[in-house]
Amino acid sequence: MTAAQETLDVTVHRGTTRGARYDSFQVPAHASQTVLDVVSWIQQFADPTLSYRFACRVGMCGSCAMMVNGTPRWTCRTHIKKVAPDGKLLIEPLRNLPVIKDLAADMDPFFDKWTAAEAQHHPSQTRHDPIEPIDPTDATRAEADLGVECINCAICYAACDTVAGNPDYLGPAALQRAWTLLNDSRDDGRQSILDAVSGTGGCHNCHSMGSCAQYCPNDLNPMRAIAGLKRETAKSFFKGKRNA
Amino acid sequence: MASPTEIDRHDTDILIIGTGGAGLFAALHAQQSAPPGTRITIAVKGLIGKCGCTRMVQGGYNVALGGGDTVERHFMDTIRGGKWLPNQDMAWKLCEQAVVRIRELENEVGCFFDRNPDGSLHQKAFAGQTADRTVHKGDLTGIEIISRLMEQVLSRPVEKLQEHRAIGLIPTADKSALAGVLFIDMRTGRFRLVRAKTVMMATGGGPTMYKYNTPSGDKTMDGLAMALRAGLELRDMEMVQFHPTGLLAGDHTRMTGTVLEEGLRGAGGQLLNGAQNRFMFDYDPKGERATRDVVSRGIYSEMRKNNTSENGGVFISMAHLGPDNVRAKFPGMVKRCADSGFDLAAGLVEVVPTAHYFMGGVVVDADTRTALEGLYVAGEDAGGAHGSNRLGGNGVANSTVYGGVAGDTMGADIRKMGALRDPCPTTLQAEVDRALHPLTRKPDLVQPLRHALQEAMWEDVGVLRTETGLTRAQTRVADISDALMEVGVASDNLAFNLTWHDWLNLRSLCDISQAIALAGLERENSRGAHYREDFPDEGDLDASYFTVVTQTGGDLAVRRDPVDFSIVRPGETILPDGEPETLVAAQ
Repeated sequence: MTAAQETLDVTVHRGTTRGARYDSFQVPAHASQTVLDVVSWIQQFADPTLSYRFACRVGMCGSCAMMVNGTPRWTCRTHIKKVAPDGKLLIEPLRNLPVIKDLAADMDPFFDKWTAAEAQHHPSQTRHDPIEPIDPTDATRAEADLGVECINCAICYAACDTVAGNPDYLGPAALQRAWTLLNDSRDDGRQSILDAVSGTGGCHNCHSMGSCAQYCPNDLNPMRAIAGLKRETAKSFFKGKRNA
Repeated sequence: MASPTEIDRHDTDILIIGTGGAGLFAALHAQQSAPPGTRITIAVKGLIGKCGCTRMVQGGYNVALGGGDTVERHFMDTIRGGKWLPNQDMAWKLCEQAVVRIRELENEVGCFFDRNPDGSLHQKAFAGQTADRTVHKGDLTGIEIISRLMEQVLSRPVEKLQEHRAIGLIPTADKSALAGVLFIDMRTGRFRLVRAKTVMMATGGGPTMYKYNTPSGDKTMDGLAMALRAGLELRDMEMVQFHPTGLLAGDHTRMTGTVLEEGLRGAGGQLLNGAQNRFMFDYDPKGERATRDVVSRGIYSEMRKNNTSENGGVFISMAHLGPDNVRAKFPGMVKRCADSGFDLAAGLVEVVPTAHYFMGGVVVDADTRTALEGLYVAGEDAGGAHGSNRLGGNGVANSTVYGGVAGDTMGADIRKMGALRDPCPTTLQAEVDRALHPLTRKPDLVQPLRHALQEAMWEDVGVLRTETGLTRAQTRVADISDALMEVGVASDNLAFNLTWHDWLNLRSLCDISQAIALAGLERENSRGAHYREDFPDEGDLDASYFTVVTQTGGDLAVRRDPVDFSIVRPGETILPDGEPETLVAAQ
């Protein structure tokens, strides 16, 4: 986009099934403008029926993730200059998820898999116990910390070709959370987590293609976490055999 | 026009509206305290745990955990910060229960907060605190709290109604109790009435009627507008907290108004006017390190002198601290600014005061009960805990403490309740008609009116207020409100129709804007977040009052109620004799 360019050519996905229809809009260009601003302008000034989702505006909630020129991105934090140097934008709902309408994807499958991966804390203590002292430099804690800033935006899930090919695959985000819990000394659910991530939709489906790490807006590396799960589930498997 | 027969009907036992810290905690505690078999439903305007503002908490969570700090000291800071207006019983419970809630967050919910080298929780001091009290997870505390709460709730048998917007509290025909809540299922555009024995409302306030504001985009005062129509009392409605440094990037971008964190000024960040001169020392000897309200007023005064940047604000400058140092110390902020096209580390970034938090809300007791049987309110929708100003770090403590309290209270109260109540058909029809009104008018743009409201509130009910301005605001908001009633929304496809919801958002915002202006006129002194240029003094502390706004028919009324100093009186303290004024090491 040059300074002289006054409008953006924007093509937007429409309808309740993927690929149903595309509409084009000419959107006024501004110096400070994100993809979310472009989508909002279309709804506020050109087509009041355009559906999309956003909340926090600052990359903390992960509600506004969409496909932008074929790449999954947080639209609130994606500057037009970064993705549309020629002033052309194609905006679609997040890949690998059902479409609700236009640009809004149904994130329920993503969160159902989060739960299926046992990706919630399994308490070993209660509110009546003191908070456990934990050395922040401890190696397992450091490993847990690597994935803890995930905001569950599903960018990695949309980027993952394994998810695209296998709808049962739990996906990078849920598995990374499981790995974080496995490294959290306070978590009491080790065996249930290992069972959950070693099933048919589990970590062994990952082909280490690395799209999750490539596209994560927070620079997290779910592929590394999944590799850790593969090692732990294998160890657990052999240990189980020895004990049998 | 839809008749009530076209409303989907659904029954539950405990209904929770909102999935921020208050809503999610209410769900967990209700599940723990209600009898087995109790149906629990959680409804939210967006996605569970994703909309709302708890997730956006940067700073952290205030809790007294020893090392010299005490619940008493936390309480005194909260009362003094609120300029003697808080409901003292609520403030006490907030401070006392925060100690339990932080252990629950760590031990049961699975949050992991930053540690000291010895493994204990790291705590820091925010402005207005006399102890290192704020527990945190870097500067992304809210993400840790909400992500962990969300996964706990998702994994439990709690019924979820996502993208369900509450539009009306429906009482019984004799108005003695709440029967249920009317929603729009946003994905289909259909009405859904959910009856429940108890309802906890935690939609999260959010002063988004200002030109510059920080809350998430879904927050539009729907809860307080519903409460006002249901006849409930709203207190402290003049109390809008402005954060001094919101990003300023023009009217056309949703980035404008979002917070640049407090720590930038604390670390030595400088505020520069349009001529690139520092100005905060003209207003306060602490310069940029003065409290939020003082810095906001300083910036606003400078803006009024037209000493402004290109977009009408001022600049924040960090470069003198060394760009690499700034990048290392504030990586999240630097990256966010860079994504938006600004160089925080080495350049100048335009900032402006931005409406951040709403201290006002529904009058509740310390168990979250309201005057309407069956309705409980917690979090930013509830008034009283913060008085005229909220301390940084007390927001998420408040929502999680009182969300849990609401869950426990509902779980206990529901044992005494019999059958579900029948909704008042007249109120139900009136709420349906109210929501359908725009579909009966010629379609037009909604956004210009939202913009007009935001200008009016910013100019006349903003950082600095006068009787003239507040009175003018009442007329301006009334005109915008009238104009909105003539703006239509096309009715051909109501599924996920954001423009219909923009209209409903603006309807809520107009209603609550009038309540803010009225309460602002009533308070003829300056306390905390409320500053009257024509009444700059704080007034007699012993005669402190809080404002109460009610609505009867279509008319608002305001009165002053005396503050009940139930625990401590102005000029006194509950700290033992000889306690130092502050435990925070001088910087």
